[in-house]
Amino acid sequence: MYGWIWRHLPGNVWVRALIALVLVLFVIYALFQYVFPWAEPLLPFNDVTVDNQ
Amino acid sequence: MAATADGTEEQTSARGSGPAPGRRGTGRIAAAVSVFGELLITAGLVLGLFVVYSLWWTNVVADRAAHRQSDKVRDDWADSGPGALDTKDGIGFLHVPSMKNGEVLVEKGTSTEILNDGVAGYYTEPIKSALPTSGKKGNFTLAAHRDGHGAKFHNIDKVEVGDPIIFETRDKWYVYKVYDVLPETSKYNVQVLAQVPKESDKKKPGHYITLTTCTPVYTSRYRYVVWGELVRVDKVDSKRTPPEELR
Repeated sequence: MYGWIWRHLPGNVWVRALIALVLVLFVIYALFQYVFPWAEPLLPFNDVTVDNQ
Repeated sequence: MAATADGTEEQTSARGSGPAPGRRGTGRIAAAVSVFGELLITAGLVLGLFVVYSLWWTNVVADRAAHRQSDKVRDDWADSGPGALDTKDGIGFLHVPSMKNGEVLVEKGTSTEILNDGVAGYYTEPIKSALPTSGKKGNFTLAAHRDGHGAKFHNIDKVEVGDPIIFETRDKWYVYKVYDVLPETSKYNVQVLAQVPKESDKKKPGHYITLTTCTPVYTSRYRYVVWGELVRVDKVDSKRTPPEELR
């Protein structure tokens, strides 16, 4: 999978490494900004109130 | 399953036309296994990142939001003279010296959205909190996060009977003293928020304060409750000298 992505990136090793780094950072950004905030309330780690539900 | 299917295919094709396609079949299994392995590694990394997110990043975001809102409340207090209290951005600050976390802004409501800003919220439901500023008897009930999102009540287990809890508003310091702790209770136990919290052995109405958060740390299995009772109310002086408990 990662090998396939690597082979399909353009340019020489340095350009590829740079693009790969940008892709990784983008994925981390997407996770922190969208995926984790969405997933967090669905997980039972952070309910602090007492209620009837 | 996929591997088995590939394996059978490999055998038949190998019998049919020599070793070359067979090698290709093995290659396909290897590729499938390596993709599977990479997915597992990826899943592990994502879970690791989620821990980083929960225990570090949410604190960064929440502290930033809390600072901004706290500054705004302090500015409002400085600007406005005596009169009606503007409660939109927060009604005051909670100081619990034994939690060693400085001041915690108190806002209205205990929804995720509000608590995630790194503040403590006072209950509006299921039982409405009484506000000390009203001067009436009742229970001032608060909730805040134990971990992540500012983790304002992280050290609630360090609070012991006799410790002070101070609530600061624009004009007054409300000094409470902890008289009872419930280290573990069900999350459905809304009676801890009652105006007269019977579980803390109180029978008569009074000026109480209740802090709730989740326990044990890093989970939401149970709720941790700390009760205090109002000892005295100090007027805020021009220098905003804190009461002796905070010095």
